[in-house]
Amino acid sequence: MNSPAVERTETPVAPAKKGEGIVLQRLLPFLSLIILFVALAIASPNFLTNTNLSSVARQTAVINIMALGMTMIIIIGGIDLSVGAILAMGGLLGTMAMEKGLSIPAGVLIGTATGLVCGLANGLMTTQLRIEPFIVTLGTLGIFRGLTLIISNGLPVHRIPQAFSFLGEGNVLGIPFVLWILVACAIVTHIVLEHTRLGRYTFAIGSNREAAVYAGIPVNFHTTAVYAIGGMLTGLAGMIEASRLMTGQPTAGQGYELQAIAAVVIGGGSLHGGEGSVTGTLIGAFIMGLLSNGSDLLGVSPYLQQAIIGAVIILAVTLDELRKRRTMTS
Amino acid sequence: MLLELNHIEKRYGGVTALGDGNLAVQPGEVHLLLGENGAGKSTLMKIIAGIVARDAGQMLWQGREVHLKTPAEAAAIGISMVHQESLLAPHLTVAENLYLGREERLPLGWVRRRHMIEAASLVIAEHRFPLRAEWAVEKLTPAGKQLVEICRAILHGSSLVIFDEPTSSLSGSEAAEVFRIVRTLRERQVGVIYITHRLDELQSVGDRVTIMRDGRTVHTGPSAELTTERIIHHMVGREVSAIYQRNPLPQGDELLRVEHLNQQGRLNDISFSLRAGEIVGLAGLIGAGRTELCRALFGVDPIDSGRVSVCGREVVVGSPKHAVKAGIALVTEDRQITGLALRLPIGHNITLANMPAICRLGLVDGRAQNSAAVDYIGRLRIRAGSPRQLAGRLSGGNQQKVVIAKWLFRQARIFLFDEPTRGIDVGAKVEVFNLMHELARAGAAILMVSSEMPELLQVADRILVMRGGRITGELPGRTTQEAILRYAALETQPPAEERA
Repeated sequence: MNSPAVERTETPVAPAKKGEGIVLQRLLPFLSLIILFVALAIASPNFLTNTNLSSVARQTAVINIMALGMTMIIIIGGIDLSVGAILAMGGLLGTMAMEKGLSIPAGVLIGTATGLVCGLANGLMTTQLRIEPFIVTLGTLGIFRGLTLIISNGLPVHRIPQAFSFLGEGNVLGIPFVLWILVACAIVTHIVLEHTRLGRYTFAIGSNREAAVYAGIPVNFHTTAVYAIGGMLTGLAGMIEASRLMTGQPTAGQGYELQAIAAVVIGGGSLHGGEGSVTGTLIGAFIMGLLSNGSDLLGVSPYLQQAIIGAVIILAVTLDELRKRRTMTS
Repeated sequence: MLLELNHIEKRYGGVTALGDGNLAVQPGEVHLLLGENGAGKSTLMKIIAGIVARDAGQMLWQGREVHLKTPAEAAAIGISMVHQESLLAPHLTVAENLYLGREERLPLGWVRRRHMIEAASLVIAEHRFPLRAEWAVEKLTPAGKQLVEICRAILHGSSLVIFDEPTSSLSGSEAAEVFRIVRTLRERQVGVIYITHRLDELQSVGDRVTIMRDGRTVHTGPSAELTTERIIHHMVGREVSAIYQRNPLPQGDELLRVEHLNQQGRLNDISFSLRAGEIVGLAGLIGAGRTELCRALFGVDPIDSGRVSVCGREVVVGSPKHAVKAGIALVTEDRQITGLALRLPIGHNITLANMPAICRLGLVDGRAQNSAAVDYIGRLRIRAGSPRQLAGRLSGGNQQKVVIAKWLFRQARIFLFDEPTRGIDVGAKVEVFNLMHELARAGAAILMVSSEMPELLQVADRILVMRGGRITGELPGRTTQEAILRYAALETQPPAEERA
């Protein structure tokens, strides 16, 4: 029998030993992404081709950019169900502006700004009316989609300058342009979250809103800002989607909100707020992208695909919960 | 013997929570369990209540060895526990909470609501609880909720009831109510285990005492034989002067002046001032308006009329943001709810209220944050491995210090402490008092709310007493409990119904 006194002198060392375990478990999503990648490379000869990989990147980028904004929103303890509708509205207004003769950059800017305004509306409503973001964005999901359909009369915008396709389909230095955009957005979001006051407040508000209020933090301002940023990124994603389709589709982005939320959650984000990371979300989005691409390549039925991705979400969150429980019981 | 625990061991990972836990409880006895935070009391109680399983040792229930795996198994053999934190469903009524999980059901799952309310009313009346079966639990004060917890524990005919710090959120008359209920349990030959941090409760309720330290039982004996000094000696393992002594500091400028503060239904014509270097106690019973006053001064619940001046200049405290800017800090009693982001590192918590101080060009300067955190961890002797440790993994006393560090880093000068010693152990209490003294010496003005009058008498330079939202008296620091009580409780008050 060990003497308890000896045990106790060891305890200061224990957190460090635990730390290694935590790092390993934190790496788990990343490892599963790599394993998935390698497995697909072995299973399908078409996987490691240039066309396929850049197609995965292009497909994933739209969800990924949305998911970056969703990461911030979920960390602050919120949710945004309206991003699919925002994506459609941004894409539609941006392409309409081009149809009316504005330049391509101006169109992209308008699409992105549309997203920003929608996000701002979401943020103002949750903070000022004090309604749960789930309810607010469930409402605006309908409002934004409805407005988009009214504005477009339900018809897609087709007359878009040919050069606009570069945004979604072009290459820079042999790498899809959207991937560059994604990397840039991810780096900026990561810096904002980890190294700025806004990011710090985002974690603090999500971890304990009451304590943030008591610390004198302008909670409503920062919450609104986070929803606006999320909307802005979604607006940009809407323009990329429009560029890939070369149409402004008023019905674009249906169900994307759930994919964006899934990416954040697979990446370790907690719907209770206070937890989540850009790298986690990127991994989450790519895992989903690879799963759907891999199923296509291997001829898995698209019906089964949905079930697989659903199961992965539950599995990822279960593993993450187990990790948290292990770290908390000390 | 009702319950006997011999050489209980329990470890979590590499950490030994219990090394040698021993406890014996007889029917009809009130057994006090004392010990600092982390001494192993809670773990031992969780083992008795079937919440965690022991690693080694023997648990005898009425002479027979038992291995309880769930709280339901413990309840089935007659062991129930009154938890420190409220585990009630706030939207349900008192009666529904009392029968939660044990509702009488007719076929098809139909709950006999009226019958349940009648049965609950009977039990409430029998024990003379100041409650009503149909009240909504969310409208009750903390004291009222505690009484519902107690009522639930004794409702189902337990032979052993564990009280985990039942009076830590209660003041005078409510605590007396709990003592009365404990005594009636004793008369009915129920065994009671009573965990407390308040040593003055010793004589009021206890028959025997068991003291734990570092996961071991270090003393068991009749409570009448023990002096406060002996108990503290057993708890901390060293001699500590039981009565904290502090010498008043020379007083500086007036930092805070409050004039004719009013808040509809809560505060009535409050006027007082605080000087630099001064610790002013705020006494009163639960519901007297002390917490409300702190919240009003901090801008959480804005005032209707009156003036607040800081350093001679009038300030409008419409929100905590304004109060923080004016240099006012509030350290609340429920620090886990309003003071800390438990899932964030200590370093983040300390710097949270003063981010501009560690930001360069809009980016957080990690090195500045780290050095600030290390500095305050050292200055306040926070027992933490590193600034990266999560705040949620600290003990209560150290969490308290992190909250104080946060305000020090914000350069606050007016500190409102609302029950700063609630739920922390004796050693940590003395440290908090020392800290307050240090703050005062560094030129801060301190308003300290406490329901524990001996603490106020030890620490405060003068004492304000509140009752019914008014300041009813101002006393010098070296006054008596009787004098405070005279101002605090001139009229008898109904305990549960008024808002806290």
